Amino acid sequence: MVSLPPVLLIAFPLFFAFLAPLINMVSKKAVKYYTMAVLLLNTAISLIIFLNVLEHGVIYEELSGFYPPVGILLSVGYLGAILALLINALAPIVYLSYFGDAENSVKFSMIYMLVTASSTGIVITGDLFNMFVFFEITAVGSYGLVASMRTKKAYEGAFKYIVLGTIGSSFILLGIATIYGYLKTLNFYDIAARINTMPESARLMSFIFLIIGIGVEAELFPLNGWVPDAYEGASNRVAAFFSLGPSKAGIYAIARLLFTLVPLVKGFNLAMLLGLLTLVIGELAALRQKDPKRMLAYSSIGQMGLILVAFSMHSALAFTAAIFLMVSHALAKSLLFLGTRGYKEGVLRNPWVAGPIFIGVLSIIGMPPFPGFWGKWYLLVNMAQRGFWAVILLIIFAAIVEGVYYARFLHRGTEGEESKVLTRSEIAAITILALILVLVGMFPQYLYTPAVKAAAALMGGGP
Amino acid sequence: MRKAIAIIISVAVFVILAYFFVTSSAPINYTTGGDYVNPINDHQANQSVPQQYLNDSRKDTGSQNVVTAIVVEYRGFDTLGEVTVLFTAATGLAILLGEYKRRIEKAVEPNFVTQVATVIILPFIVIVGAYIFIHGHLTPGGGFPGGAIIASGFLLLLLVETNRGLPEKKLSITESLAGMSYALIGLLGLVLANEFLENYLPTGIFGTVFSAGIIPLIYIAIGFKVGSELGGILHNIKGVHEE
Repeated sequence: MVSLPPVLLIAFPLFFAFLAPLINMVSKKAVKYYTMAVLLLNTAISLIIFLNVLEHGVIYEELSGFYPPVGILLSVGYLGAILALLINALAPIVYLSYFGDAENSVKFSMIYMLVTASSTGIVITGDLFNMFVFFEITAVGSYGLVASMRTKKAYEGAFKYIVLGTIGSSFILLGIATIYGYLKTLNFYDIAARINTMPESARLMSFIFLIIGIGVEAELFPLNGWVPDAYEGASNRVAAFFSLGPSKAGIYAIARLLFTLVPLVKGFNLAMLLGLLTLVIGELAALRQKDPKRMLAYSSIGQMGLILVAFSMHSALAFTAAIFLMVSHALAKSLLFLGTRGYKEGVLRNPWVAGPIFIGVLSIIGMPPFPGFWGKWYLLVNMAQRGFWAVILLIIFAAIVEGVYYARFLHRGTEGEESKVLTRSEIAAITILALILVLVGMFPQYLYTPAVKAAAALMGGGP
Repeated sequence: MRKAIAIIISVAVFVILAYFFVTSSAPINYTTGGDYVNPINDHQANQSVPQQYLNDSRKDTGSQNVVTAIVVEYRGFDTLGEVTVLFTAATGLAILLGEYKRRIEKAVEPNFVTQVATVIILPFIVIVGAYIFIHGHLTPGGGFPGGAIIASGFLLLLLVETNRGLPEKKLSITESLAGMSYALIGLLGLVLANEFLENYLPTGIFGTVFSAGIIPLIYIAIGFKVGSELGGILHNIKGVHEE
């Protein structure tokens, strides 16, 4: 089989995004087909890399041809390969929903390609500062995507995001500076090997700095004030894109921090606390929302909390559960955000809209046979085995709250006369997402095998 | 017709690039093979990374300026990312401001001295900027400061020419071409050498302009890109938008 260097996942979209303004000068209509072709090319590359990783194990790539701690290392492990495939396979599907629109500016398409590339970069890099650079591209691009709606709400959301995102970036930089000051290295595995030579206080400090910085992007509880406003202000498609790209990259970075960079018992306890707070507060806030987009945004926060709880269990089974939850969240949330554009009474009378939305809701609240069920099931089994009964009760409570507001949401859509809001390309996009959800749920073994390997690698401190 | 040409060009670019990279023998280091050694198991790990930069940069890159060697060679991928951050920010700003209809307000007529001085100074500003980014591997400075200096020339032009903006289309073409050439210089590394952004040109005589392999080429691309990008930002924030 062909083997491709993983750097192409980042270099190609960058090159083609720089080329896009020239294409726009030749023909304005060609831009969306061009962007679609670039995204599909990336999907193919990420699929090849995923298969390579399954066959041969971790791929390392020494950029600029220098030896790792001196040069930059890309390391695509199982987790990185799964998430890179997830982001790059779903980005063209969400982009498909733009095809019905007349308004589709070239600048938007450029930022879309760049944020896809940088989210992929976060999950495949093996270098701390390189990860920071990709976080910057993701954040700066996301501000632009939120503001691209040009409404007052969009500006409000984008401004809150800019303030929190900038403070978060500064904290990441402080954390990196602390680690570099002690260890004089930026390579993940070099840091992991020598982190114990740092004094306990310095380790704790760098952990806190990094979790504050990354937590902004990963939507963790005290740092997620931007989420509801930004998701409400952004267009539905941008919100859908956020739930598969930047938020997945953020939660991946949290896993990398917890397991590889600064593994601390206190860190796992803090993560458990933050995760439970994020879960319960997110779900309770979602219960009070009337606007469907705000409700979905708070529900996203709750899901992120659940994934963090699964990380902080520090066991292979719970980590596998977290991977299933990430896949379920990326698929189902982008489906729901796409499907609820202009949500009002009677939208769900149309079976082509109702079917995918029902499937998405069922996966989010954890009904079999969808990936969300497998995630929650593995997590609860692991907790029961280890006697975390209080946490189990909290998670079940959150699941009941989730069921209540999603039932209300569905009920509202089925009342009244049938109304048509979605374009044909949007319906095509949500149908494809629902099909993928069904396939992953029916055949979980194809995700389970690489997920267990990813969990084992992370537990061992590897890529 | 134009649409057909655009589609044909993009398909051709795709096919050529895809062919190049599938057939190129880019090596991949797997865990079992490859030359990746855990730094802890290796004697070189005793030498800290900053020390290694200072000791080996002349041998590795042929660049007289160690900072440039680090920025463009050792951590060149990060620099490509930083260029992209600037590009993304400029694009986001253009989404916010660029598509409004704008009215240029003639607030104050620029005085005679400014007008005449600008014509005299402008070529020198451009020459200084170009000098700084062409000599980035020899003297302090490089693509980013050089580009910023050229953009300050654009600012002066905007102050004098109150009626017109900058040639936005030309700036945009320059920006695209410069960004693409940076990415292409990196991608050629995969084909001609082994790795992305690896040096594949002779390093030349240490301390002369034609030395240090691909570093001057990358800095020239960055200089053009930063200059045209900042110029585009200045163009976008000029004027008052009308509803």
